[in-house]
Amino acid sequence: MGLKVQNVSKTFGKKLAVDNISFEIDKPGVFGLLGTNGAGKSTTIRMILGILKKDEGSISWNGKEVERKYVNFGYLPEERGIYPKIKICDQLIYLAKLKGMKEKEAKESMDYWLKKLEVEEYKYMIAEKLSKGNQQKIQFITSVIHNPELLVIDEPFSGLDPVNTELLKNAIIELVSKGTYIIMSSHQMASIEEFCQDILILNRGKTVLKGNLKSIKEGYKANRVELITKKDVSNYINKNGLKILKQMDNQYEIEIREEKEAQKLLKDLIENNVEIEKIEVKKPSLNDIFIEKVGDK
Amino acid sequence: MKSLFTVISFTIKDMVKRKSFIISNIIILLIIVIGFNVPRFLNSNESISMQKITILDNENVLGETLNSLKENFKEVGYDVEIDIKTTKDEIKEKVEKEEIESALVITENENGIHYEYIINGMGLNTTAPTEIINTISLAYQNQKLSQWGISPDKLQMISNTDNIEITATSSDETSGNIFIMMILSVVLFYAIYFYAYQVSTAITVEKTSRIIETLVTSTSPRIIVLGKTIGIGIVGICQTLVTIAVAIICAKVFLPSDTINLILEMTNLSPVVIVVIAIYYLLGYSLYAMLYALTGSTVSKPEEVQSVNGPIAILAVIGFYLSYFTMMNPTSSLNEIAALVPISSPFCMPFRVMMGLSSINEIILSVLILIITILLVAHISIKIYSSAILNYGEKISLKKMFKMYKSKD
Repeated sequence: MGLKVQNVSKTFGKKLAVDNISFEIDKPGVFGLLGTNGAGKSTTIRMILGILKKDEGSISWNGKEVERKYVNFGYLPEERGIYPKIKICDQLIYLAKLKGMKEKEAKESMDYWLKKLEVEEYKYMIAEKLSKGNQQKIQFITSVIHNPELLVIDEPFSGLDPVNTELLKNAIIELVSKGTYIIMSSHQMASIEEFCQDILILNRGKTVLKGNLKSIKEGYKANRVELITKKDVSNYINKNGLKILKQMDNQYEIEIREEKEAQKLLKDLIENNVEIEKIEVKKPSLNDIFIEKVGDK
Repeated sequence: MKSLFTVISFTIKDMVKRKSFIISNIIILLIIVIGFNVPRFLNSNESISMQKITILDNENVLGETLNSLKENFKEVGYDVEIDIKTTKDEIKEKVEKEEIESALVITENENGIHYEYIINGMGLNTTAPTEIINTISLAYQNQKLSQWGISPDKLQMISNTDNIEITATSSDETSGNIFIMMILSVVLFYAIYFYAYQVSTAITVEKTSRIIETLVTSTSPRIIVLGKTIGIGIVGICQTLVTIAVAIICAKVFLPSDTINLILEMTNLSPVVIVVIAIYYLLGYSLYAMLYALTGSTVSKPEEVQSVNGPIAILAVIGFYLSYFTMMNPTSSLNEIAALVPISSPFCMPFRVMMGLSSINEIILSVLILIITILLVAHISIKIYSSAILNYGEKISLKKMFKMYKSKD
C-alpha cells in the first residue's frame, strides 16, 4: 500500500535528470525529498503527479500505476500560482470541483481551511490584493481543500514569517494525524528534521542517501562539541589538539574524532576551574549530512 | 465530462464578471440604441428646419395641380402654402413685414412659365428654391403636353426611366445586396476574431500566473483547452445574440415598420442562411480559438502575448481580405477558392450561400475541410499546450514547438 517508486529515470535531450531512483512510502507521514537545485526533485515530483512522463520504471499508488483519474493527489508547487484577478472563494471552489468535490463539500472544506490558516477575511478579495505570505497560505489550501490521500509540498515554508510557518506546521501535523501521505521537498533542513521519518537525498539525478532519518543519524558518530563558557578557553581547546569550527565570544563549536576527546577537554576545564555554562556532544545534523553527501560533488 | 463543465462554467463566470466585459457591452448596446435613433433625430431636425414658403398663383397657371404637389414639396424640406387670391404687391408687403418667410410668384407669359422669388433681404446663402421650381416646371410641362393632345399613356412612355436591363455573360446568378453582405462579413470577422483572441489571453493568464501547474494535476490539458474554448465561445454566442436582439428591438421601436423586412429582403436572410452563418461562425471561431490556444500556451510572460499572436492575426487578416475582396466579384474562381480555404471560408461561404452561388456539395466540402483543419489544429495545440506547461523560460521557437509536438510528454 502507499506510494512505490521503482527504478524511475527521466532524460531531457541528452541530460539525465533522474537516474534510476526508487523509494517507498508505506504509511502516513512526511517523506523528505532533498537535493541541491537541479538535483531532480521537481522532475521526480512531476513524474509522481503525472505532469511529466517517465522514461523508465514504475510509479504506483496502492498497487495501481499512477494516473490522474485514479489518485486523489494534492500539490503545492514551488512556483506559486493563483489567479490574480479572481476572488479567493471562487478559485478555491473551482479547484476543489476540478478535483471531484461537490460545491457544498467544497464550500465547507474551504471555510474550514480559511479559518484554520487565519485567512477568512480574504475570502471575497481578489488574490493580487493579498500579501505574499497570505497568497502562499491560499495556495496551500488549494492543495489540501479536497482532502488528498497523497500531498506533495514543494518548499512549503519559503517566504513565511515564524507565526505563519507555525500555522502551516500545525496544518501538516493535522493532515498526518488524519492519515495523509506527504512528500515534502525543502531546503530548510530544520523543517525536514522536524517532520520527516524517511528521507531521500538526490544529487544530479542520482540517489546519494535514503532511509529512515533516525537510523541514518544513528549511523553517524558524534563529531562535534558545543561549548559555552564564562571566559575565553581557546588555549585549552588548542592544547587538547582540537579544531575550533566556529567561535563567537565564548561560544565554540569544536570538531572531535571520538567522544573521549570531549571528555578529556571537559576534565581539563574543570581542573582549571573554568565556569561552564553548556557543553554538548553532538552528532552531525541533517544539514551536515546533506553537505557531506552533496556539497563536494 | 464533469471537469469539462466545471472549466466551461468557471470560464464563463470569469469572463462575464470582468469590468471590461460589462463596460464594453454597455457601450456596444448604447451605440446600437443611439445608432437606431439617428434617423429619427435627423428627421426631427429636418422638421424643425423646414422652410416655409408661399406660392402665389393668382393667374391660375397650375390650378389644383399645385395642391397635389404639397407632399412632394414637404419631402424636399418645404412647408408650402398655396395662395391664389392675393396680389403680388400684397405678398411683397407680407414678406417685408415678416408675416411670411418667402414667396414664389408664378406667372405665365409668351415664353412659358415665369418664377419670381421674393425674400426679405439677400444673404450670402440666399438661393431660389430649385427643388420646388423643378417640380412645378415638370408639372407645367405635363399640363401643357396634355392640353396639346398627348395622351397620359404616351406621356408615361416618354417619361419612363424604369427601363434599364443588365445582361451578364456568366450563367451564375447572384442575388442580395453585396454592400450589406460586406458589412455582415466584417461583423462576422470581428465576432470570430475577438472571441478567439480571448482564448489566447485566458490561457496566457494561467501560464503567467503559474496556476497551470496546479490545474494540470487536477484535470487533463485537453479538458482545460477545450473548456476554455467552449466557455468563451458560449459567451461570444450569447453576447452576439443579445446584440442582435437589442438591434431588432431597436429597429422595431425606432425605425419605420417595414425596415426589417427590407433588410431581410436585401440580405436574402432565410432560415437556411441563418443556420449556415451559425455553423460557419462556430467553426471559424473554433479554428481561430485553437490557433490562439497554441500561441497562448507558448508564452510565459504577459508582454510576449502580442508578438506570439502576431502570425495568427496576419493569417486571419489574409483570410478575411481573401474573402472580402473576392466578394466584389463573387462569381470569380478566386471567390470559390476562398470559400474552401479554411482560413477564409468562415468569412466567405455564408455570403456565397446568401447570394445563391454555392451548391450543397460545395458547402459540404467546405465544412469538411474546415472540420478536419480544426481537429488537426486542436490536436497540435493540445499537444504543445501539454508540453509547454513547464516552460517558463524564453518564448518557444517554431523549432522547439516541433520538438514538443514530437516528444511523448
